[in-house]
Amino acid sequence: MRYLSEYRDPAIARGLIDRIRRTATRPWTLMEVCGGQTHTIVRQGLDELLAGAVEMIHGPGCPVCVTPLEQIDKALAIAARPEVIFTSFGDMLRVPGSDCDLQQVRARGGAVRVVYSPLDALALAQRNPHREVVFFAVGFETTAPANAMAVWRAAELGVKNFSVLVSHVTVPPAITAIMEAPDNRVQGFLAAGHVCAVMGWTEYEPIAARYRVPIVVTGFEPTDILEGMLMTVEQLESGRHEVENQYVRSVRREGTVPARARVEAVFELADRKWRGIGEIPMSGLRLREEFAAFDAERRFDVGNIAVNEPVACRAGEVLTGKLRPPQCAAFGTLCTPDHPLGALMVSSEGACAAYYHLARHRMGTPQEVTA
Amino acid sequence: MCLGIPGRIVEVRDDAGLAQGTVDFGGVRRDVCLQYVAGEVAVGDYVIVHVGFAISKVDEAEAKRTFEVLREMSRLDELEWMADAIDPAFRDPGAAATGAKA
Amino acid sequence: MTSLADGLTCAAPVAATTHVQLGHGSGGRMSASLIGERFVRAFDNAALAALGDGSIVATGLETLVVSTDSFVVTPIEFPGGDIGSLAVHGTLNDVAMMGARPVCLTAGFVLEEGLPLDVLDRVIASMARAAREAGVPIVAGDTKVVERGKADGLYVNTTGIGVADPRLRPGPARARAGDAVIVSGAIGRHGMAIMSAREGLEFESTITSDSACLVPVVEALKRSGAAVHVLRDPTRGGVASALNEIAAASGVAIELDETALPVPENVRAACEMLGLDPLYVANEGILVAIVPAADAATVLDVLRNHPLGAGAAHIGRVRPEPAATVFVRTALGGTRIVDLLPGDQLPRIC
Repeated sequence: MRYLSEYRDPAIARGLIDRIRRTATRPWTLMEVCGGQTHTIVRQGLDELLAGAVEMIHGPGCPVCVTPLEQIDKALAIAARPEVIFTSFGDMLRVPGSDCDLQQVRARGGAVRVVYSPLDALALAQRNPHREVVFFAVGFETTAPANAMAVWRAAELGVKNFSVLVSHVTVPPAITAIMEAPDNRVQGFLAAGHVCAVMGWTEYEPIAARYRVPIVVTGFEPTDILEGMLMTVEQLESGRHEVENQYVRSVRREGTVPARARVEAVFELADRKWRGIGEIPMSGLRLREEFAAFDAERRFDVGNIAVNEPVACRAGEVLTGKLRPPQCAAFGTLCTPDHPLGALMVSSEGACAAYYHLARHRMGTPQEVTA
Repeated sequence: MCLGIPGRIVEVRDDAGLAQGTVDFGGVRRDVCLQYVAGEVAVGDYVIVHVGFAISKVDEAEAKRTFEVLREMSRLDELEWMADAIDPAFRDPGAAATGAKA
Repeated sequence: MTSLADGLTCAAPVAATTHVQLGHGSGGRMSASLIGERFVRAFDNAALAALGDGSIVATGLETLVVSTDSFVVTPIEFPGGDIGSLAVHGTLNDVAMMGARPVCLTAGFVLEEGLPLDVLDRVIASMARAAREAGVPIVAGDTKVVERGKADGLYVNTTGIGVADPRLRPGPARARAGDAVIVSGAIGRHGMAIMSAREGLEFESTITSDSACLVPVVEALKRSGAAVHVLRDPTRGGVASALNEIAAASGVAIELDETALPVPENVRAACEMLGLDPLYVANEGILVAIVPAADAATVLDVLRNHPLGAGAAHIGRVRPEPAATVFVRTALGGTRIVDLLPGDQLPRIC
């Protein structure tokens, strides 16, 4: 596939790995923010191939994993209502709430459907005028333009039986929170390429300057990630801390302006709780007042949600890079993809699931792995 | 957050005021909303598609340029490695004289 | 919604399932657990417990092989086939994977009130054609009708009865370290053909289901005299799930070469778009053969000489350990585990 397969060239990848090893005069610790990048790194064994030169800490860039438990429980309560057709991206279906997950709600009679695009959910609402169609609007800035368009169109076309349950988070506040943490070990960041395709990279310039940390906007294929790592290591070796762009074919400094404009028109910033981490101020999006009619939280009174997060789940520490999944006592024992304690073991982009499915045999038992 | 793949626009149309198009991903085609890139794309252009929306246009010129750099770098690395392996004198003429390894 | 676990400090897993879920039908871990812990345990017999594609029943005269399968696919008609041809091919293939020669089929139908009769006619014609081409008659059947909403159009069950063949007695526990892993053709076609027609995920493609009767291919393998340790048709759950079951049954590891996997371009593109791995996508017209290394060339030759096996490929090998593990060697030289999934593979945004 054009503009995809070339970036998986093994010869180029091996060359980049070699260059990284020769450039690094000491081991460096980097964080990739995006779950899709985590997936490639673990799937291709890039962390294994760079051991000793670069340590990758996997960041909280998995929107499924950081959706607060309260939102999951609200989704489950809404989906269980007989008049509702609850639509969602596939990733959300097995994320555990306090009591069950969307798949179990479906088993008990709820109408739960996977859709590829939020516009598919809107079309479903138009085709089923006697049902309430709710869309679980989860994601980072990459997905916000799509979700914004669905709400905008619903308003424009006067679709009355459509609403969204919003759980959007934004990346820059998370990076700031990580750099502010007293025991932070991250020395450089690979910024999420598709988030930046939408938003551009201007928000990262003050962060790079303030914390003196290089940030490289990076793509998702193996050579993209390796090139991003090389650029970050080169900056660290020469004492620079700038924002650079590896993903030049898809990202410009200003991003995609009409997309940003539509997001601005439909959403506004709000404080947001990140599952496993806690509240990060002004790190989430909520619907603006003029679109309140499409807010599922207001349309459906789901009462008081008392959440119950399993005590043994250490997702927060994994999300901020303080803990590697195999180091968690519950990893592979109490917590497996069959009976996950938290979202990280379910979502294909969660660090725990990535390790469990792809790299278990390399990691040894939890006790054997060192920090 | 992330799953965006490149595809080629093969058709554009207007769907009640919304710019839509058919995008081809290596032989598979899907309806994609082009509203956010409407001003800058035409049939034949490549876009990055995420959940049914084109979120940015692929800069083919930049892609070509940077990929060439990458490939050249990889070839140079291979040449260096080969040179080291075959003949130390290739890198350091002095080494041949003294018999020292490169 | 409060949780039953309020007040408890023991981190018990999320509530046990109390109802059937879609994941129970995926071919992954939930399926295996449902089958093993409920059905096999209750029905309690050695033939069933072996969990082969078909069960071996000694009668004193012939040794029979019996296999049954129910088909609930939606949509009923899809690119490359329909529920009818699928039901015939699928059961014939299961009998053939045991090395047996199918002699007859039964067909049971559950029809939903309101199903258009012309759809039913097309399904029946398709089944008749598939059975005729295979030379295996449908000798018994049953039909029930249920109220609107109680069946997705129609459900079909087919049972196949075959005669065991001493020339070929493959079994899931017979893989040995050093064996070659061969697949008879391109992977991922059926599942992606179905997905292209699913509401909410639709896309246009040239992908067609590979649904086909593999009996003649297996007969050709028998004639070649090559030793075949394991035969399996990787249906739901894909090649990954089938190989995981075999690795577990045989107590071995299976290593695959990423660059050797025959994935058609259009399947690969569709998988990229939805974030799916072709190794987990269902197939209905290919087989996996695990054979001694010395027989690999012969087997590949036999397969490639048959129209259904033109795309046959040597995709990996059996290793002694780590037991019950399937892994892939990537193009970059790294390794990754290909695990049994808990349930269905889901399209993702990330």
